[in-house]
Amino acid sequence: MLLEMDSITKSYGSVTANHNVNFNLRKGEVHALIGENGAGKTTLMRILYGMERPTSGEIRINGKAVAFHDPTDAIGQNIGMVHQHFMLFPAFTIAENIVIGREPTKGLKFDRKTAMEETLNLSEQYGMPVNPKQKVADCSLGMQQRVEILKVLYQGAEIIILDEPTGVLTPIEVKELLISIKKLAASGKSFIIISHKLSEIMEVADRITVLRDGHITGTVNATDTNEEELSKMMVGRELVKLERRKLEYGDPVIDVQSLSIKGAKAKPLLDNINFNVREGEIVGIAGISGNGQSELLQAISGLIPYDQGTITIQGMNVTGASVKQIRESGLAHIPEDRYLWGVSKDATVSDNGIMGHLESTSKYGILQGKLIRNLVSEWVQRFGIKTGSLSTKAQYLSGGNLQKLIVARELAKETPFLIAAEPTRGVDVGAMEIIHGELLKRRDEKAGILLVSSELTEIMKLSDRILVMYEGKIAGELDATVATEEQISLLMAGGKAVG
Amino acid sequence: MKSSLQSLLQPLIAIVAGLLVGAIAIVIVDGNIVETYREMWNGAFGNFYFFTSTLARATPIILVGLGASLAFKAGFFNMGSEGQMVLGALTAAITAVYIPGPGWFKAIAAIIAAMIVAGLWSALAGWLDSRFGMNLLITTLLLNYIASLFAGYMVAYPFKDSTTNSALSQTQMIDKSVFFPKLFSGMTLHIGFVIAIVATIGLFLFIKYTKKGYEIRMLGGNPLFASYGGVSRGRLMVASMLISGAFAGLAGASDVLGTSYRYLDGSLVAANYAWTGIMATLLANSNPIGTAIAALFLAALQTGGMGMERNTDVPLEVSSIIQAVLILFITAKFTMSFIKRKKAGAKDGSTN
Repeated sequence: MLLEMDSITKSYGSVTANHNVNFNLRKGEVHALIGENGAGKTTLMRILYGMERPTSGEIRINGKAVAFHDPTDAIGQNIGMVHQHFMLFPAFTIAENIVIGREPTKGLKFDRKTAMEETLNLSEQYGMPVNPKQKVADCSLGMQQRVEILKVLYQGAEIIILDEPTGVLTPIEVKELLISIKKLAASGKSFIIISHKLSEIMEVADRITVLRDGHITGTVNATDTNEEELSKMMVGRELVKLERRKLEYGDPVIDVQSLSIKGAKAKPLLDNINFNVREGEIVGIAGISGNGQSELLQAISGLIPYDQGTITIQGMNVTGASVKQIRESGLAHIPEDRYLWGVSKDATVSDNGIMGHLESTSKYGILQGKLIRNLVSEWVQRFGIKTGSLSTKAQYLSGGNLQKLIVARELAKETPFLIAAEPTRGVDVGAMEIIHGELLKRRDEKAGILLVSSELTEIMKLSDRILVMYEGKIAGELDATVATEEQISLLMAGGKAVG
Repeated sequence: MKSSLQSLLQPLIAIVAGLLVGAIAIVIVDGNIVETYREMWNGAFGNFYFFTSTLARATPIILVGLGASLAFKAGFFNMGSEGQMVLGALTAAITAVYIPGPGWFKAIAAIIAAMIVAGLWSALAGWLDSRFGMNLLITTLLLNYIASLFAGYMVAYPFKDSTTNSALSQTQMIDKSVFFPKLFSGMTLHIGFVIAIVATIGLFLFIKYTKKGYEIRMLGGNPLFASYGGVSRGRLMVASMLISGAFAGLAGASDVLGTSYRYLDGSLVAANYAWTGIMATLLANSNPIGTAIAALFLAALQTGGMGMERNTDVPLEVSSIIQAVLILFITAKFTMSFIKRKKAGAKDGSTN
């Protein structure tokens, strides 16, 4: 056995993040570690990478017990980790980012030429092409992921930990990454992948270990299991099948006419966008991120100005109106970047919860503590938001729990029109089930929903109608009941719709 | 509970570091550390007279600090307290001298006029920022010079005191009937201190429990989140700068009506009330109650320093050294939060 983690327990005060966890890894194996947010996956990997010390338990590499005090120790034992949020220097080239920490030198000087050559050799050896001279700032997220992996390979990693590696990638990049992982594993490298995307796990993993509430619920061979069984092991119960009723669509809740935003460059950010969303309808917008979706949502919600176009919400012309007016006309908005737009990290859970609910929670301009507590604690219960208390600062909530808080806040506005941008990004299966269920419930209640997601499966599962955005234009419109993944992928990549 | 302890930790470390460096300075000038600090304590709190003098000195510092704390809470770096305070004091003095009526009426009119003028002066900078994108930090700093020099001109020419032969640039003395009542006879402490304490509690409640206070906190915490939630940055900016300046104006009025009884050119600037108030706010992380406590501490440092100089061979400068260390700590923190906000501003869709 290459790596054994034996009876690892990690407690923070009264909270036990890992409870007697046994985990092992064979040479050349891809071993997936799955579980809901807060199940203890990340803690276990932080222990392995020397960022945390276990309360009890032992780590053995090739049968020999080791103790890591910091990541340097772990790297010394040929363990490498690629974090969920990339840790690259955007202003530097790919080669410079890869050799960082072990730069080749000539005398006292950094030897840039050798760095380039070594990067090229490495990328050829492992079949992961990169341009060493390119600046990281100019790279796609898929390319940055590749640079991260090459960086740990350059450091001599034999065991590579990937934390949510596909979270930000496009479908094509995901495919390429999975192929690279398989190739590297075949050449003798071993992988631990933390993920919650079961379809990808099933495709790439040899074995799968499931964690729930800090306990191992099982380790299975990928060939002996299926997605339903894994979900059950993660959540601890059967998942409810989503029910979507057939609905008659009503009047449009939003109507967008010839919306355009000129960009700083030659290409417009939004180019003559026309669409509507009707009562009882979910319209999904698919597209690789950066093709104008963010600008479209921000323009609709009044956060950025636009050069041309008319926007009508609930029959009211809100062209050029303020955010407040637009919200009052009937918009609720689950923002795409929850940390940037969706919360104030230093503020408490209840403070973050009442944004937009001030009318109902204040009297004569004074906040009503009791009303606020009732409102927010009802959401905490209904959505299973894990928080110390209502006065816990938002920054101490995990991403998934924060997302549930935002979703609860926006749904509670019960507006006729809802923007749901990446509503389940980074949340676990259980939370995703709740959020999807709530969105469909709003649809049943005759709300119109504009869903933007980089997850094709999510778009296909929830939408009645699918719009595909490419380079600021709506490249195609498809009926969700008959659209196929191939059709959408093709439109996303700039191809023409077929059939 | 844990987080409030943590927020106390930073200022405490700064104060302890200041006292330690001060101790080194005392050793260098051959003083006795324990004795020197004891004299300093006595000078600030040693008897009832010294204690009330410290409170009197803290009064304008608290009021200025409160104004700055409101602006900082909303994320606006109002560096213009000095100019706002000067204009407030000038307005209060002129109003008190020239408006007819009974004493209490003159006093109230002077306070209100001072708050309005200082508030508008401050709101001007807010408006320039929200309307034309002129950086608030820079405009408020520059407006200080305009205010001080303008006030200097006013008391050197149109409103110069002609009742005495004094060559000083100052207004006439206000009538005795307008003086703030003293809290204890024979002491310098006046009713302005009570106003400052009430204002402290009022501002604390306002920020924590009102809708507008909530919007100010969210705007200061994450401006993008606030705008996403429908909070109008421009209007809130002008409004919070208005109130912030009004506090500085109140500080100026309180000095004129309670201590100086006239506006004397340069006296407020020399006493450094405004910058000490800003320091108190930064030390207290813009918490109103913390600001009042920090203001009291800084005032004690100054009155205590004088006591120390009277009774030991250690020079007053030791007080300045302790303050300087505090400033060093605060500047580092302030710069960090300024950089953080610059970054957030760059991502703000509305400003590109």
